[in-house]
Amino acid sequence: MKNEKIKISTKNLNVFYGAKQALFDVNLELEEKKVTALIGPSGCGKSTYIRCLNRMNDVIDICKVEGSIKIDGQEINKKDVDVNLLREKVGMVFQKPNPFPKSIYDNIAYGPRIHGLADNKDDLDKIVESSLKKAALWEEVKDRLNQPGTGLSGGQQQRLCIARTISINPEVILMDEPCSALDPIATAKIEELIDELKKTYTIVIVTHSMSQAARVSQNTGFFHLGKILEFNLTEKIFKNPDNKLTQDYITGRFG
Amino acid sequence: MSEHIVSSYEGQLKTLHSTVLKMGALCENQFSNSIIALVKKDEELVDKVIGKDERIDELEKKIDDQVVNLITLRQPMAIDLRETVSAMRIAAELERIGDLAKNIAKRVKHVKVDLNNGNFSLIKSASDLVQGNLKKTLDSYSKNDEKLALSVWSSDKEVDVIINKLLEDLLNHMKNEKKNIESLTHLLFIAKNIERIGDHSTNICEYVHFLIKGEDIKGDRPKG
Amino acid sequence: MNSKEKEILLKKRYSAEKRFRFFGISSIILALSFLCILLVNIFTNGLSAFSRTEILLKINFNEKKIGINSSSTDKEIRQANFDEILQEALLSLAPNAPELKQAELIDLVSIEATSEIKKFFLKNKSVLNKTAEVALTLSDDLDQVHKGNFPRNIPEDRRRFSDFQLKIYDEQNAKNKIISEFNWPFIFNADSREPEIAGVGASLMGSFFTLIVCLLLSFPLGILAAIYLEEFAPKNKITEIIEVNVNNLAAVPSIVFGLLGLGIFLNYFYLPRSTPLVGGLVLALMTLPRIIIPCRAALKAVPPSIREGALALGASKVQTVMHNVVPLAMPGTLSGTIIGLSQALGETAPLLLIGMVAFINVVPSSPFDPSAVLPVQVYLWSESAERGFVEKTSATIIILIFFLAFMNSFAIYLRNKFEKKWS
Repeated sequence: MKNEKIKISTKNLNVFYGAKQALFDVNLELEEKKVTALIGPSGCGKSTYIRCLNRMNDVIDICKVEGSIKIDGQEINKKDVDVNLLREKVGMVFQKPNPFPKSIYDNIAYGPRIHGLADNKDDLDKIVESSLKKAALWEEVKDRLNQPGTGLSGGQQQRLCIARTISINPEVILMDEPCSALDPIATAKIEELIDELKKTYTIVIVTHSMSQAARVSQNTGFFHLGKILEFNLTEKIFKNPDNKLTQDYITGRFG
Repeated sequence: MSEHIVSSYEGQLKTLHSTVLKMGALCENQFSNSIIALVKKDEELVDKVIGKDERIDELEKKIDDQVVNLITLRQPMAIDLRETVSAMRIAAELERIGDLAKNIAKRVKHVKVDLNNGNFSLIKSASDLVQGNLKKTLDSYSKNDEKLALSVWSSDKEVDVIINKLLEDLLNHMKNEKKNIESLTHLLFIAKNIERIGDHSTNICEYVHFLIKGEDIKGDRPKG
Repeated sequence: MNSKEKEILLKKRYSAEKRFRFFGISSIILALSFLCILLVNIFTNGLSAFSRTEILLKINFNEKKIGINSSSTDKEIRQANFDEILQEALLSLAPNAPELKQAELIDLVSIEATSEIKKFFLKNKSVLNKTAEVALTLSDDLDQVHKGNFPRNIPEDRRRFSDFQLKIYDEQNAKNKIISEFNWPFIFNADSREPEIAGVGASLMGSFFTLIVCLLLSFPLGILAAIYLEEFAPKNKITEIIEVNVNNLAAVPSIVFGLLGLGIFLNYFYLPRSTPLVGGLVLALMTLPRIIIPCRAALKAVPPSIREGALALGASKVQTVMHNVVPLAMPGTLSGTIIGLSQALGETAPLLLIGMVAFINVVPSSPFDPSAVLPVQVYLWSESAERGFVEKTSATIIILIFFLAFMNSFAIYLRNKFEKKWS
């Protein structure tokens, strides 16, 4: 790969759920302001991997994360790291859209409020508007900002969640199968959004859809049984992968 | 390689592969028959060859349709994509080979000289060599043998050498036997056709290599 | 299995379903009919308590006999003697009555009659030295006769009023001097030995204060305990033990809490006996598990995706729980709270043990004044001999039912408000 700036790097990353090991010695370097797709069969560890990047695995009691995770060269897998500040920097969008049971405005405003990013109501209004604009949702909701976020369609809800993630100015956005619950048009809108967002944010996307990975990402990593088998430019992976298992997976010869 | 989980997908790829092979076999036949017709001056064979060319065109159209269907409906990736794209390219080359064979057959009635004597043995040698290369090329596609394809690709030089000799020979004949100039001119064209069939075979070898290795053959084609 | 066997099987299924529906509907009808019988019984017995019978008596407000004049102050008026003019007015109903019967005439009206006259005069000072018709409460026995609760054919020595009193009553009734008014004093007065002036005021306020104390203690404690147990407590042996104990506490008979209150609050801490303060404390102990359990269930029901969404935004655990999870759990929690409070409202046994069974004749003005509660009042009155208390017992139950209905409707309103906001 070209000599681009590395935003996230994991070395010898091993993750255990109790006695069961989920990730084995994962070494990856993810480039800044690029979209990296992680593909692989179910249960191969892709979601576990990205949840390490914002320490969401801390929520699960029996989960143990060993190894080095560095963001901008700073180690985050150690005790004295402020997890809440980390999550301000590394945002996450989930598979099923999960807007808060609040108004659209309050959904977006919640993050800036708890992190103290706005000095007054005007600032907050500006943040809400710009986040919704960046998520390509502003035009559709600008007249109903105080209606509940749960009243939107699935695709709109997911864009709302993306806007909510952007509102606190992260540097990295992690997406865990963001389109799997959406219809094709909504999916296409999100993919267009990802194209735009990569100019500002580093994006890591876990997806079950090979064609989506091929469409949106610049780099792709193939996970299999907790190991990263191949990591390369997306073009290479989908035209001529080095690893036979990778090829078998993307052509549908094994699941 | 293991099979696709969806067996109809596997079936479609296999059908594509065998259609290309069928077309290839037909082209091989056409070429060898055209040379036999030339040497034996067999008019019936000539008509047969000319008539059969339509079938080759049909097969090319069929392969094109299969390819477009595969891309639309299956969105093939990696090796499947290379298979699909290569089949289309190879079919195009085979169609040209078929046309060239038909062209040779058309010229048979205009060649009035006897080719069985030693003066025109080079034509036979050249066509034998190219026929052999074409067969090896199609074998390499059938068996996924990129080494075989590479060897044929490298031996294009020999074809160039023998064709150059043949052309020189014919030109000499033309200078000395002015009465046979019509026949000899046609023989000149036939020699060029044989050379071009060889070139198309070499193209097919390049596609077979890309299909199997996923990258182009490195280096320039050796020329004689 | 051929089609014949299938048909038989299908028929069996359908008939089983029909039987099930029949049993279900019959049980509902049975339960509803019991409820109807109960309600009809209570209402027919109790509605009459909401009216009081009065007699219109002509009273001559002779200033000499009262002992005031036109310039007397209110204080002097209150201390003046109105008995004489009352007796005069009563005796005039049967001018030729022998002396024995004269005492019975005095008993026609309630002992409150004097203060009723006083109140009347204080409002209408212009009747001084004039004659005015004043409405005075009839004694409880005649009150019951007027309401038709007392059969008239019982022999005289077996009733508490005489034939003579009855005759006077009939005479006055014929002259339309006996009227029925809405019984406001029933609602506002404290308890009394005389049924005609006894009211639920004291117990109403008692119940109100008790519930307030109970609510103020159990609601925040219950919710915070539930939040801690559900969201923050580590999953170890200690937490398990606490959980088991909370669940078991909900099943403890309420009288045990009364004993606890007696032993600790009264005998150890020397808190004032019989007060809503102690009553509320005891009921809070009882209601606490009944709030914790539904609150925990409501918290459990909040999908984990809400928590993850908040955590991923960088919210701390506390922020996640308080801002995002608890609002969603509010409808369920409120339902549980209201059910718990409704049960607390109807509790009698534990409150008896801490002394809220005294005869309270002053309406309490704070949780520190001794009082009774509505269910205890029902118990006390149901033990009394006077006929007049029968209707009042049922009327108290009616008030209790309305109180409960009001609380439940408020709960439903709150629930709907919360659910609409968050759905």
